[in-house]
Amino acid sequence: MRLIILPVALWAVTTISASADPVSELASFSVFDKIDPAQLAKNDVKTAHGPPMSNPRFLSVQSVFVMSGSPAQNLDTLRKWNPVQHGEPKVFLHGDLPASPTESAFAKLKSAPNNAPVRALVNATSKMSNDLQLSKDEAARWKGGDAALSAAGGDFWIGVLTGRARGFASGGTSALPPYDHAGSAVRAGDEINGLLRAQPKIQKQFSGLLDNTGLGRGAGSLKPDLYWELVNADNVAVLSLGASYSRDSGGNAQAVDAFYYSSGGYYATLTLYQMWPVNVNGQSSTLVWRGDMVSSASLAELHGVEKLGSESAMMKEVAKSIARFRSGR
Amino acid sequence: MRSVSFCLCVCALVLVTRNIFAFDLWPAEYSLEETYVGEATVARGPHRVSDFDESDTVLRYILTPRVSLGVLRLGFEYEQFSFGFDSAPLPETLQSVAAVVGIDTQLSDSILLRIEATPGVYSEQFKAGTTLFNMPFVIGGTYIYSPDVQFVLGIGVDVERKYTVLPGGGIRWRFQPQWVLDAVAPTPRLEYEWSKSLTLYVGGNFKETNFRVSDTFGTDSGIPKLNHAVLTYSEVRAGAGFDWKITRWLSLNAEAGYQPYRNFDFYRANIRYHQQSGAPYGMLALHGAF
Repeated sequence: MRLIILPVALWAVTTISASADPVSELASFSVFDKIDPAQLAKNDVKTAHGPPMSNPRFLSVQSVFVMSGSPAQNLDTLRKWNPVQHGEPKVFLHGDLPASPTESAFAKLKSAPNNAPVRALVNATSKMSNDLQLSKDEAARWKGGDAALSAAGGDFWIGVLTGRARGFASGGTSALPPYDHAGSAVRAGDEINGLLRAQPKIQKQFSGLLDNTGLGRGAGSLKPDLYWELVNADNVAVLSLGASYSRDSGGNAQAVDAFYYSSGGYYATLTLYQMWPVNVNGQSSTLVWRGDMVSSASLAELHGVEKLGSESAMMKEVAKSIARFRSGR
Repeated sequence: MRSVSFCLCVCALVLVTRNIFAFDLWPAEYSLEETYVGEATVARGPHRVSDFDESDTVLRYILTPRVSLGVLRLGFEYEQFSFGFDSAPLPETLQSVAAVVGIDTQLSDSILLRIEATPGVYSEQFKAGTTLFNMPFVIGGTYIYSPDVQFVLGIGVDVERKYTVLPGGGIRWRFQPQWVLDAVAPTPRLEYEWSKSLTLYVGGNFKETNFRVSDTFGTDSGIPKLNHAVLTYSEVRAGAGFDWKITRWLSLNAEAGYQPYRNFDFYRANIRYHQQSGAPYGMLALHGAF
C-alpha cells in the first residue's frame, strides 16, 4: 500500500470525524461498545464476530487493538507490509503490481512452490474444474497441456491475472467479467457491495473512502496499490488479485484492502482499517479497528454451529495475522 | 408402517417449511433416519429372548436462528425403537418425543459452547396425557485449536440414568485434505471426502436412552417390580457408509454394519438383558440444513 496524497478539496467531502472521541466513534459503527485503550494496550487483540448478515455467503469478523506510534506511522507500515516476508503461512507468493499491470509482473508465478495445495490448483487447471472461478471466455482460453505453474498452466493463469488486473486498474470491479464458467454469474463487485450493504454502519463510516475507490464500482478517483498473491485457501492454492487504498487526515486514518479476484475459495474479501491517535500512558499510540469480511460459496454450505466454528476459525486467523503485524513493526 | 408414514409427514413438513419461510429468517436442520437391525438374542441368566429384530426411527427438526448470543436450537425430536419380540418381559416399543431447546455460542475465538436440553416424554409407548417426563441435557465445549484440529469435551446429565452425569469428548482432526478423524462420541468416524458431494466413512454409533415403562408393565410381564420402572436401553453399531449431498439442503446417508452390543437394563430393579448374539443392520437417512 502506498500513502495517497489527496487534494485538499477531496477532504471537504470525505472528512474523517477527527474531532470525535475515538471510543465513542468506535462504538457508533462497530460491535465494540466499550473499549478502554489503556487496558487494550496491555492485551494482544480483541476480536468478535460481526453482526449477523442475511446472505449466507457472507461472514465478518471485527478486531480492535492498540499499536505504538501514530496512525500515520502505522498506516505506513501497513502500506509496506509483505505477508510472505513476515512468515504468513497461508501466502505462498506475493507480488506488487504497477499501475498498468503487465504479464512480466506475474513472472514469479512460474517458480511457485510444489506443495499439495499448489498441486491441487494444477490438477483443477488441467481439468478446468468447475471449482475454478473464471469467466466462460477465460476458461475457453485453456487449450490443455502441462497445467503446472512452471509450464502452460502458469501461462494460462498469468494471462487471466493480467487481464483482470488491467480491467480493475482501468474500470474498477465494474470492468471485471463475472465468475460464470461453471454456473450462474457471480460478480466480485456485487459481492463487495453486498458485504457493505449488510453492515450499513460500517458502510457509512467508510463511505468517504470507499466511494472514491474502484471497489464495487468503476475506477475511483483514488489510485490503488495493486498486488497479487498465491494463497492457501482450505488446502487448495488460489490466485488472488488485491487492491489497497488509504487516506490519512493528519490525525485519523482509514484504509481498505480487498481481494477483487480469486481463482477459488472465496468470491471477494474486504478488510477495513480505522485508526485513531490515542495517548496510552503518555505514549503516542494508535487505536486500530479492523473489519474482515468475506464472501464465499462454501460459507453458504455451512449452518448453525458449523458457521459459528467457521467464524471462530476466522477470528483466530485474524488475531494471528494482527499479532504478526504488531510484532513485525 | 406407522413410523414410515410419520417419516413421510415430517418430510413433507420439511419441504413445505423450506418453501414457505425464507432460508435466512428460518434456518433449520433436519434428519429422518430409519435403521433395521436383524434378528438377535439377549439373555438374563437362563432367560433368553431370541430372534427378535429391531426398527429404530429418528426424526429431528431444529430451527437454528442466529441471535446476538449465538445460534439458537429450537425444535423437536422423535425416536422410536420397535422390537419384534414374540413373548418377552421387555417392552416392544420405546418412544421419546422431546422438544429441543438449546444454544450454540462463542465463548472466545477458540471456544464454542453448546447447551441443549431435550425435555419430553420418554416412555414405553407414548400416550396423550402421559406424565412420564424427563429432561436430559448436555453441556459441551469445542476448543478450536486450528481449522484442522478441534477438541471436544462435555457432560451429559440425565437424572433417570444410573450415573446421572457422564463425561464425554474427543477430537476432530483433518489430518489430510480428504481425510478427517472425527473421534467424538456418540458417533465417531473416520471420513474420506471422495468428492465435494460424497463422503465415505467407517465408524460407530453409541446409543443410550432412558425410558420409563408403564404402571402396569411389570404386572403384565410377571415381574411386578418393573411397574413404572426406568429402563436404560443401549446399543452400539459399527459400520461403513456414505453421505451423498444431493442438493444444498438434502443429503442421503446410507450405512450398513454390525451391532455387537445391546443391553436392556432395569438398573433400579437389578434386571438386565445382555446381548448374546449380535446382528447386521442397515440404515438410511435423509438430512440437511437450510
